[in-house]
Amino acid sequence: MTEPAAHVVLSGVSKHFGHRDGTPMAALTGVDLTIATGEFVAILGPSGCGKTTLLRLLDGLLQPDTGSICVGGAPPRPGPETGLVFQSFRLIPWANVRDNIDFALTSSGLSLSERAEKVDEAIALVGLQRFASAYPGELSGGMKQRVALARALASEPQLLLMDEPFASLDAQSRELMQTELMALWARRRPTVVFVTHSVEEAILLADRVVLMAPRPGRVIESLPVDLPRPRWGYDVHGHPSFIALRRHLSERLRELVLTDPGSDFFQRGAPRS
Amino acid sequence: MIALYRVLVLVGLIGLWWLISLQVGGVIIPSPPATLGAAQMLLAEGRLLPALGDSLITFLGGYGLAIIVAIPFGLLMGAFAPVGKTLEVYVFALAATPRVAFVPLIIVFLGLGVEAKIFIVFLGAIMPILINTYAGVLATDRDLLEMAQSVRAGRVETFRRIVLPGAVPFIIAGLRLGATIGLINTVVAELYTAVRGLGGLLALYGNTFRMAEYFVIVLMLACIGVLVAEGLRLAEKRLVRWKSGS
Repeated sequence: MTEPAAHVVLSGVSKHFGHRDGTPMAALTGVDLTIATGEFVAILGPSGCGKTTLLRLLDGLLQPDTGSICVGGAPPRPGPETGLVFQSFRLIPWANVRDNIDFALTSSGLSLSERAEKVDEAIALVGLQRFASAYPGELSGGMKQRVALARALASEPQLLLMDEPFASLDAQSRELMQTELMALWARRRPTVVFVTHSVEEAILLADRVVLMAPRPGRVIESLPVDLPRPRWGYDVHGHPSFIALRRHLSERLRELVLTDPGSDFFQRGAPRS
Repeated sequence: MIALYRVLVLVGLIGLWWLISLQVGGVIIPSPPATLGAAQMLLAEGRLLPALGDSLITFLGGYGLAIIVAIPFGLLMGAFAPVGKTLEVYVFALAATPRVAFVPLIIVFLGLGVEAKIFIVFLGAIMPILINTYAGVLATDRDLLEMAQSVRAGRVETFRRIVLPGAVPFIIAGLRLGATIGLINTVVAELYTAVRGLGGLLALYGNTFRMAEYFVIVLMLACIGVLVAEGLRLAEKRLVRWKSGS
């Protein structure tokens, strides 16, 4: 098997933000990360580890202070080549499902009829044909996130960035959306960078889990997930690889939170037996 | 259901009015039938409708002009931060100055005719519409703007599909305030310049203690206020239809 081509390459990336007292705060330091074309990578870490900053950098919404980022051989810039899915959906409340998805295609250079076709395709992809003219206020959380997913996928991006997309959903919707996402990924095979703080979600979805530590945000571990795909139709959570990975990652996360002076649980953990 | 309650309250108010009229005497507070009679007489004499027409021309002229100027100007101030930041302090200063203070100046420049009246209404109605439109643009959801940036939507497209619709509820609130002040200024203009219209009749009957006729005019003015408010409510219902589902 040949080495797959690198799609995303970060080398020595750091990003600082001005703090209230004037001292710059490091959101990310020295991040080196290579993601292959078509790979599904989960970025796992406690709050404050710069996961969201990383996604904004990958989308080109932010520029790194030092280091370089290459997406498909060029510095990233926001646009239809990259899809971004937010935790809070960010749907336009006064636009129906169809117009919300269409909004992502305004810069695609397509004609109106081509755009309409793409919108129809995206709506069919997430199974929302019956709700094409519904307003976001009329949809449940899971359906809203499906609209947001359809919007991100409508331009057929090669790179899909997801910022804790299912964190605000109830447990059942989350599980269904995870399966839906895996099925979509299997069909379209974009490169996915999926930010989450859930160990289970990271292992379930990804080819590789990248663990980040907070303050300053940095990558501390990168672990391949060798669970057979498709990961539905069998007990993934009971698979020995899943259990071993979950134990390891949970331990590491716990450690990170308890030793982070900036966290609410600093030195608060129950003593180990 | 609400309509029924409204009618009940109206009946109650008329009853209360009648009761007070009986208590203090019809000379000071005319009874409802006396007021109705006065209205019929004013109509028959052909005084009410021309006065109403005069007032409506003043009000709608000034209010319409205020809308035409204030909304684009407010959008401009909101869309281009340097313009907004530069001008807002002057807008707020002008808004805080009682506009009646300008009436003598307006008379000097525009005389006592309809132009001066329309300008007085315009000056009163423009500020709330302008300030609300500006605030509406500034209140644009930052998250939606970042979303627009991430799909590389252009400035025009972002303004048309995110900023402008988001500002609509603010603009309508401004239109409502502007209508109220505009109506007040209509009467002010008719009292301070050439005495005409409903404001003129108000002064005439008020000064001569013809209270039944006076009441007819007050009720007329109230009706105009209700009609404008209802019109705006219907416009809002149409424009902000997306809210009904949530």
